[in-house]
Amino acid sequence: MQGKQINNGKIENALNRFLEVEKHLVLGFEKGADDIGHRIFKGNLDHFSLINTSFGINGALYLRRLFAKGTKIMLILRPCEIRAYIELVKLTQIECEDIIAVSVDCFGAVSSKEKTDDIPTEVAQIKDYFKEPEKMRWACRVCSERRGVVGDAGIRLDKNGFMWASPYTEKGETFLSLIEGEAGDAPAEMSINATVKTEKFRTDMEEFSKDFLKCIMCKNCRDMCPVCYCIDCVFNGDEYLPKGDAFLNKILRTGSAAMPQGKELFHLIRMFHVSQTCVGCGACEEACPQGIPLTKYFKGISERLQGMFAYMSGKSFDEEIPYLTFLEDELKDAED
Amino acid sequence: MSEDKTDKNQEIIGFACSFCTFKASEMAGSLRMKYPDGVRLVQVPCSSRVDPAFVIKSILEGADGAFVAGCHPGDCHFIKGNYFTRRKIAALKEMFDAFSMKDKLRLFWVSAAEARRFVEKVTGMYNEIKEKKNAGKTN
Ligand code: SF4
Ligand code: SF4
Ligand code: SF4
Repeated sequence: MQGKQINNGKIENALNRFLEVEKHLVLGFEKGADDIGHRIFKGNLDHFSLINTSFGINGALYLRRLFAKGTKIMLILRPCEIRAYIELVKLTQIECEDIIAVSVDCFGAVSSKEKTDDIPTEVAQIKDYFKEPEKMRWACRVCSERRGVVGDAGIRLDKNGFMWASPYTEKGETFLSLIEGEAGDAPAEMSINATVKTEKFRTDMEEFSKDFLKCIMCKNCRDMCPVCYCIDCVFNGDEYLPKGDAFLNKILRTGSAAMPQGKELFHLIRMFHVSQTCVGCGACEEACPQGIPLTKYFKGISERLQGMFAYMSGKSFDEEIPYLTFLEDELKDAED
Repeated sequence: MSEDKTDKNQEIIGFACSFCTFKASEMAGSLRMKYPDGVRLVQVPCSSRVDPAFVIKSILEGADGAFVAGCHPGDCHFIKGNYFTRRKIAALKEMFDAFSMKDKLRLFWVSAAEARRFVEKVTGMYNEIKEKKNAGKTN
């Protein structure tokens, strides 16, 4: 793989050169006084950070319904964010023509709700810090793609601690050309490797009900999910849930009902709707005020359902979302 | 669970395509074929109109089972609707399996001419679900 080594502020220089042009923007991370967060930079970078060790929101959320032709935007984000962006492009919710998406190797992150002071800021140290998986939030511990191998280009860390930028598409070449120096062969072995497949997720309605007992139906999980894509959610308003006599009738028929009503319905429907696009980022869980283990269910289900079609959300721009296509001769077992 | 509930009140909601399976059910009616009372049909313009949300809602709001039925693959009135149905419902079954309730959902292909097949399919499903329920298993 061709690539350029990018030590000593080279990436900042490259991005600043990109930002010299009017109507060029960079969406990446900014180091604040005691936190790191998303920022859209214009003009030049300020307190830019390539790595973000805490996770609050999936940055692809900010790009939804973005059809900004003529404004060039460079994304320098984590793999789960670039993957969500790619799914949104396929769902025609983002016009990608003027966007260059660069994924950066990710070492994991802690929940922005549980930050501690001891997390280092240097890449090599961050990598060591997260060697103990217990230090990360659950979504990162079980993340299936931490490598910067998605999008138009990637920034990766080799075994000797050097960062490399490699292009994956033509737009990625443009990004590479902004970086000083000659391109050469990037090392084949990087410090973050592909993950191994985990077991099929399995549960039952009892466990599910127990886990969601405290759900207050605030729908924050839906609102913060980057790929929950319906423009008009069936759960906007209460039209989808029985009301009045119909509600009473339902309780009389089914025995009893957990309140607030409809929470299991809401989560199962959302789970199916995002089953092909979920990137397992855990943004839903971050957004939940009730500490519900949402990632376990959403990621578990989506991996099973994507596995059926040998699909992985956000891996490539060209692979079609399975529900939007079909093969004439397939799924013989599906019929009863 | 009372005898009453297990024996009589079980309900199966079927989403049937108006061009084939629903026609088959009408033909079964005119031929005076019998199938269980608890099978309730919802006519849909094409099986691909069935958002899995409808199925999930039927089950969570009390149905003992649900099925989606349409024309055989290749015979869709809208050319390829049922191919999309197959993907969606196969995936929904996988999801139901993950929640250990796979038996609650079926997918049938029944053409307008197959009244007998329609009766066999829905009766078979009804009886299997009833048996499981009577054996104290809800899955
Ligand atoms: S989910 Fe994966 S890519 Fe996203 S922050 Fe965690 S480890 Fe990184
Ligand atoms: S469902 Fe949760 S884990 Fe999946 S993409 Fe949405 S926010 Fe991320
Ligand atoms: S964010 Fe949490 S409490 Fe709110 S609807 Fe989602 S699961 Fe329920």
